[in-house]
Amino acid sequence: MTDAAYHRPTTLDAALALKRDEPSARFIAGGTDLLVQLRKRKVAPAPLISLRNIPELCGVSVEDEAIRIGATTSLAELLRHEVIRRELRALGHALWTLASQQIRNVGTLGGNLCNASPAADTAPPLLAFDAAVELAGPKSRRTLPLASFLAGPGKTQLAAGELLSCVVVPRPPRGTQSAFLRQGRVAMDLSLASVAAFICIEDDRKAPVVRLAAGAVGPVPMRLRNAEATLVGRPLDAAALVAAAEAAAAEVSPINDLRSSANYRRRLVRVLCERALRQALGDKEIHHEG
Amino acid sequence: MRAELRFTLNGAAVEAFVQPQARLLDVLRDTLGATGTKEGCSEGECGACTVLIDGRAVASCLFPALEAEGKRVVTVEGLRQDNGDPSAVQRAFIDKGGVQCGFCTPGMVMATTALLAENPAPTDDEIRAGLVGNLCRCTGYVQIIDAVKQAAGELATKERS
Amino acid sequence: MSDYSFVGKERVRPDAGDKVAGRTPYIHDLVRPGMLHGKIKFSEHAHARIKHIDTSRAKRLPGVRAVITAYDTPEVRVGFLADNFALKRDKVRQFRDEVAAVAAIDPDIAREAVELIDVEYEPLPGVFSPHDALRPGAPLVHEVDARGRPRTSNLVDLKYGHHTGDLEAMKRASRHVVEGYYTTPRIQQSCMGTAGCIAEFDGHGNLTIYAKTQIPFLAQRDFTKALEAMGLEGCGARVVVPALGGGFGTGLDTHCYEHIAILLAHKTGLPVKILYDREEEFAYLSPRQSAETRVVQGCDANGLLTFRIVEVLQDNGAYTSWGATYPSVMMLPVTSLYRVPAVSFDAKIVYTNNTYCQAMRGYGNPEVTFPIESNLDELAREAGIDPLELRRKNANQPGDESPMKFRIATCGLDDCLKAVGQGLHWTEKQGQGRKDARGRALGVGVASLVHVGGSGRIYRSDGSGIAIRLDDFGHAHVAYGGVEMGQGLVSSLTVAVAESLGIMPEQVHLNQTDTAACPWDVGTHASRGAFMACNAAIRATKLLRDKLFALCPGVFEEIAGKASAKGKSKDEAAKIVGAPGKPEDYELKHALVTKRGLPDEAWAKVDLAKVLRAVHFRQAGTMLSAEYFYEPPSELPDWEKGIGNMSAAYTWGAQGVEVAVDEATGEVEVLRMINALDVGHVLSPQALKGQVYGGIAQGLGYALYEEIKSDQGRVLNAGFTDYKIPTASEMRFPIDLVFVETEDPNGPFGSKGVGEPGLVPTAPAIGNAIFDAVGVRLKELPMTPERVSVAIDAKGRIDR
Repeated sequence: MTDAAYHRPTTLDAALALKRDEPSARFIAGGTDLLVQLRKRKVAPAPLISLRNIPELCGVSVEDEAIRIGATTSLAELLRHEVIRRELRALGHALWTLASQQIRNVGTLGGNLCNASPAADTAPPLLAFDAAVELAGPKSRRTLPLASFLAGPGKTQLAAGELLSCVVVPRPPRGTQSAFLRQGRVAMDLSLASVAAFICIEDDRKAPVVRLAAGAVGPVPMRLRNAEATLVGRPLDAAALVAAAEAAAAEVSPINDLRSSANYRRRLVRVLCERALRQALGDKEIHHEG
Repeated sequence: MRAELRFTLNGAAVEAFVQPQARLLDVLRDTLGATGTKEGCSEGECGACTVLIDGRAVASCLFPALEAEGKRVVTVEGLRQDNGDPSAVQRAFIDKGGVQCGFCTPGMVMATTALLAENPAPTDDEIRAGLVGNLCRCTGYVQIIDAVKQAAGELATKERS
Repeated sequence: MSDYSFVGKERVRPDAGDKVAGRTPYIHDLVRPGMLHGKIKFSEHAHARIKHIDTSRAKRLPGVRAVITAYDTPEVRVGFLADNFALKRDKVRQFRDEVAAVAAIDPDIAREAVELIDVEYEPLPGVFSPHDALRPGAPLVHEVDARGRPRTSNLVDLKYGHHTGDLEAMKRASRHVVEGYYTTPRIQQSCMGTAGCIAEFDGHGNLTIYAKTQIPFLAQRDFTKALEAMGLEGCGARVVVPALGGGFGTGLDTHCYEHIAILLAHKTGLPVKILYDREEEFAYLSPRQSAETRVVQGCDANGLLTFRIVEVLQDNGAYTSWGATYPSVMMLPVTSLYRVPAVSFDAKIVYTNNTYCQAMRGYGNPEVTFPIESNLDELAREAGIDPLELRRKNANQPGDESPMKFRIATCGLDDCLKAVGQGLHWTEKQGQGRKDARGRALGVGVASLVHVGGSGRIYRSDGSGIAIRLDDFGHAHVAYGGVEMGQGLVSSLTVAVAESLGIMPEQVHLNQTDTAACPWDVGTHASRGAFMACNAAIRATKLLRDKLFALCPGVFEEIAGKASAKGKSKDEAAKIVGAPGKPEDYELKHALVTKRGLPDEAWAKVDLAKVLRAVHFRQAGTMLSAEYFYEPPSELPDWEKGIGNMSAAYTWGAQGVEVAVDEATGEVEVLRMINALDVGHVLSPQALKGQVYGGIAQGLGYALYEEIKSDQGRVLNAGFTDYKIPTASEMRFPIDLVFVETEDPNGPFGSKGVGEPGLVPTAPAIGNAIFDAVGVRLKELPMTPERVSVAIDAKGRIDR
């Protein structure tokens, strides 16, 4: 333990100002990852700027076009949120299996994303929902697609002095189904691999929109664009799902580590991708003209 | 450099001077002498350090003490009823044999208390999901799950009457 | 046998109230006046010469009270082969080697000081598997033995074997023979309470150590030796055992950290606490030993076993603790699980630069039961006999003498197998190629176990002493040297004292284990806790009752007379209670003394406390206490020959499981389990169930999840983030417990030891069920989804 400071600003501007004055300071939200890393000396001791007491960073607002999730909204609060559970079902699945009540009560959505773990379970569903993130810096605010925000293991596009303020999820159109599947070693575990599927069939005359994303099988949680491409313009039948799953397994770049081999992760992506699609389709085969 | 911290611990106002980045767990155990809360892993995996903050279960090993400012913190020492009897959850753990070496027990009891406060009639799967962050190496969880069910039943009966 | 008042009845644990309230003090919670905090500097190499240790920066850090190394402290040897040292000099042989230690005024300063210690090493090539270690020219982990004699190989100097029956003849008599190689991993005991101790000295050089140990008296001997090495000959060592927070074998040996705390306490003159955090517990405490096993078994045309060959290769790690002695328990199932006419067993234990290993629940038994029971399944299939049927045909029977010369008085193995078959609907389910609604393959499997149920004699004395003292209020204060680790010894001992003495369980008070107050006990291991404690209690309470009844004549009549005297004359009253009787006329039950021939009326039931006070507070008064030292009727085996009736009773059991295997992911889910166990007699239902359920959870972890991973001797998954033990979610399958009561003549109230059996057959039962489901044989634990899926793929390739 060090004597480094712990700041508790109550406005976003104050938080940014503190960071400007003390560039070595780190923002901390739930702290469920950072505190462990500090304790294990994997992160050098630093002053901490807590984002927990900033009302403008916290809470869910449901707008006509988007669901806006404040970065420090706890995972538990998201899980309890009716609209999120109903409309962002894949995210709900991810939250339900993410860690434990003790962690979800404290851990935040922004923290889960900014930690930039390849295995962050909220990322694949948010990628599948085509979410964006709003970043607040000392001088300006900007918005980035989540897919470009995540830059590598432990790396994001946050510039010096910037913080993630809000996650913006476009409200899925009517006819959207989504699913999230993961596999860990036991129930309380990091994902060895995870897949989120988003399928929108607005009406029978339009082509379905399918978005897929995977976690823990590359440097960052990633969209499965090749797999998505295989589904364009063809009926979503069993053969199509298998083809998409094969494409997904081919386009991920998993690593060998002590949790799993790359080969097994690839296998999981194939299985989970097919199953997630199937689950999102309600186990029905969808035939579509055009 | 020490920071001043005030919160409610088991219903009583407490104040302490703590290192700015101290963990709530250390303040509870070392500064305030509330050693019922256990440290099992220091990284939020085992749940032995579970306490309630404003009614919600939290791993106190991952909780900055200063964030407890102004909050209601309840530890295992604060569960007993006014007449000194154990709470329904504590009683159920005793009755059903959900206690062996006892090291996970305070955390298990706190997690159960929070779980039942949020979901008074949990299914088996909901109980297991609720306790997934509390490791136990002695009991195989069977008699713990039995205890949670007894406590849920008892609290439901109390609710009705 | 239902006339017991307390034995076998539902009762809550006597220690549960304090535990649910957080009132129970563990080593983590204990603070001694002036206490310092110790921290150890561990090696950064698996094998290296220590060239130089610079402690100067650490010593200068404010708050540091002592920094020690092997170069400035007496040499303290550790382990039964004395091949380990509290602090290492000249050379480190494993990553966790202790090279220096610090005592400071708080844990943070101690940690910081440790980081300021600079050690210069000259790295040496290491050996990280027993195969590598046995290659000619392999680097020697130890160049000399404990006496300084040069060593020529990495083979540990311990010999275990067993060869009985005419092996060659029985091979010829075999119609079917199956051979297999199996591997079991190092796993971590994962006590929820991590390891720690507090050492302190009095002004005379006497040591008191609060230790998380299962062997307070053997530890006392080790610590006394350490005191001698420190020049404190004649000084005493007292071991006090706080609430344990789980043992599972971790406390069966003394540890370097304990000896280091002693050295630091002596150096500073203050109490020193060393407490491991979870990462240290994983990286620097001794886990369960790994094993590689070759097994060959044969049977005749009728499925009767003809022979069994088991050869084990164990990775001892860098030093020798009890892990090296697993073969002493491996012999049990190898020689005595099922009737086998010819048995051959050999074990090699090899030094490597991996972490050294220790005891864990089951102690060698699961390591060989997995190969034996998996291989037996293959043999059954080879012979075309139902695997359950094959087991029942070969089941041991009461009255048998096994090849190891176990005298099997009671044996419920066949009843257990039968119960498992019925509970699992074996005949309808086995070999059916069934699928569940999710398309997963379903299968059933069974495996059996034998374990010591009447303690296990691995030491010259296998005894347990007990001392019981009655106070003026009728309460019994029990001093017992065995350790409550969570297993429920307090439940069974309380019940045994109350039942056999004739008082209420609430009047039984168990004192904390303390070598200064408790008679000697060899240790709490080998499922012996309840068996030994209750046997000792039964005998000590008999002595107490004899003393009490000898004092009753006259005293009883006087008290009962007063009680009956209401409205009667003194003479009348005296007449009713009669003249002083003979000792055998009196009885004590539920804390009430009665006398033969008197009516069943309140006045004729005298409160024990009144009698005790009457004999205490009088001329030449006395108080009642009794001690007993119980030695079980067993023999210390000849380990090289593998012969000897090592236990006073044997516990038998069988587990049957149904699993679902997801063939796409390789994920195995246990759907249900039937656990049938010959417990002799149910002593304490809640404690018994807890032991069995808990054992099953550990068995499940061993089977499916747990493995210490290491690279060149360095532990890679030192924490619960990457070492996964089952959570409540993994234990979601229903478990039917069947207790077969065979009433063992040596067992207290007929009961046998049950501490370890729960985990012994779980892995092979699951492995056999996986085979039944998907036709692949997993020969390596844990049977992870990845390994299962690889095996399924390999089979697919062969099938095509």
